[in-house]
Amino acid sequence: MLDYAEPISRLIDELRRLPGIGHKSAQRIAFHLLRIPPEEARRLTSAIEEVKEKITLCSICNNFTDRDPCRFCTNPARDRSVICVVEEPTNLVTIEKTREYRGLYHVLHGALSPIRGIGPEELKIKNLLERLRDGHVKEIILATNPNTEGEATASYLARLLKPLGVTVTRIAMGLPVGSDLEFADEVTMHKALANRRQI
Amino acid sequence: MIITRIEVRGFRNIHHGQFEPQGQLNVLYGANAQGKTNWLEVIYLLATAGSFRTSRLSEALTYGGREAILRALVECHGLRKELAIQLTSRSKRLFVNGKREPSIRYLGQLAAFICSLEQMNVVRGEPEYRRQFLDQGAASIDPKYAKVLETYNRILKQKNRLLRQVADHPHPNTLIDQIETWNQQLIEYGTIVHRVRSQYVEKLQEVLEGNLFGKEEIQIRYASSLEAHGELDDYAALLAERLRVRLNAEIAVGYSLVGPHRDDLEIRFDGRELRRFASAGQQRSALLMLDLARISVYNRELDAYPIFLIDDIDAELDRERIDILLGYLQGKAQTFMTTSKPDVAAAFADRAALFRIEDGQVRTEASR
Ligand SMILES: [Zn+2]
Repeated sequence: MLDYAEPISRLIDELRRLPGIGHKSAQRIAFHLLRIPPEEARRLTSAIEEVKEKITLCSICNNFTDRDPCRFCTNPARDRSVICVVEEPTNLVTIEKTREYRGLYHVLHGALSPIRGIGPEELKIKNLLERLRDGHVKEIILATNPNTEGEATASYLARLLKPLGVTVTRIAMGLPVGSDLEFADEVTMHKALANRRQI
Repeated sequence: MIITRIEVRGFRNIHHGQFEPQGQLNVLYGANAQGKTNWLEVIYLLATAGSFRTSRLSEALTYGGREAILRALVECHGLRKELAIQLTSRSKRLFVNGKREPSIRYLGQLAAFICSLEQMNVVRGEPEYRRQFLDQGAASIDPKYAKVLETYNRILKQKNRLLRQVADHPHPNTLIDQIETWNQQLIEYGTIVHRVRSQYVEKLQEVLEGNLFGKEEIQIRYASSLEAHGELDDYAALLAERLRVRLNAEIAVGYSLVGPHRDDLEIRFDGRELRRFASAGQQRSALLMLDLARISVYNRELDAYPIFLIDDIDAELDRERIDILLGYLQGKAQTFMTTSKPDVAAAFADRAALFRIEDGQVRTEASR
């Protein structure tokens, strides 16, 4: 790092903390930023500042929002009897893009992973249970990721929720979109078949 | 299948080297620590996308280097493919014909088995080496199995972490709830592991019965750790039952006691348990037969021969066994073997391509 002026190496250091950015990419981005016009750089810094100032977690569903409760939780057109549970806000966006789903959401902000020190306490499960208290919610759709951590989270939640008298379903995503059937392992295939629906 | 060209950059002591092996027998020789085994590791790595020497691939980079590139031209069933692996200290990228592919698509293009000193553990050592022997074989004929096994091991790791925490936890029941969710997946994947291994052992046994490799009788059997406890026909149900019964014991020891990760391959040589009652020579013969059986099963299933790698040929095998081995492999599997003894290498000069390895570099010798 001694090769660069101190502000440049500091920028590279900060960029390297970002997910998916290695040393090479950090350097490339830093030098790109050095070359762009000042107003372009200011747009970036103010965008970062703005999300840090204005975006919070929705107190009901834990989605990122600029007003609390968020636009999903306050939208009267949405079906309030069903909640779709996802791991991350990005998963919510993916489901929303399909325009298939008109219910509410709940973001856990993670999945169970003992080796990473993530247990139920680290996930936003408590306020999910609170949402069931008034009895309006009839169905919970578990849309956690189709990997071992997502499956563990879904089955943990299913055990927790079923005694509360609510219908619990797991979305049929045994097979990742665009993947070859030939390469799906047996468990995945089995689940995809078991969860098939009529079209 | 054969490899027609190998090129390596930045891997262990190979700064940059390449060579063009011949279709049959290739002997790599040179003094110790010159890098003979590194070349075998390159081939094995290209075949399995994992290493048999270290699981931390970052340690395999040339000292001070940022990345390693391994490349091989492979011919199989008249098709030519270029396989490549790019390694950095924290990533491994797989390429087929220059296009990056996920491991599930990459695997299966090149198959290789290795016979090394460490592999003697299959006939002498702990059960884990025999499970590994079966897993490598089963994955070679169905790469999807590698993924199943990886998932099973991950589930086990997650569950073990919970089991370790129960004893000192203020609310152990919350952990036990979680353990049960991991058990559910452990049953799903464990059932496949058990079935794939059992079927693979049957295939090996069929080949061994053909008496292909010698007059000694060798019998193998997949020994499930659950077999004393009930019917294996409904393995999932039995596994679920054992997990329930043994939960407290698992909590007491702090790791998983139930599942196919506790199974073994039982090997009998002339009716007696190989590990305990056979001589060292018999153990070597048995290993050889098992190795050849793995090659033979591969051939039956996929109508091709895998690459066979023998590290330090003269360390464990005597001349007679080497001849039986090479006699069987001749005209079948492309073979790479290493030796530190020039006279051993010279003895193969009439039928093998010889390559002298010096400081990681390959020097082709005039042969035949
Ligand atoms: Zn909300």
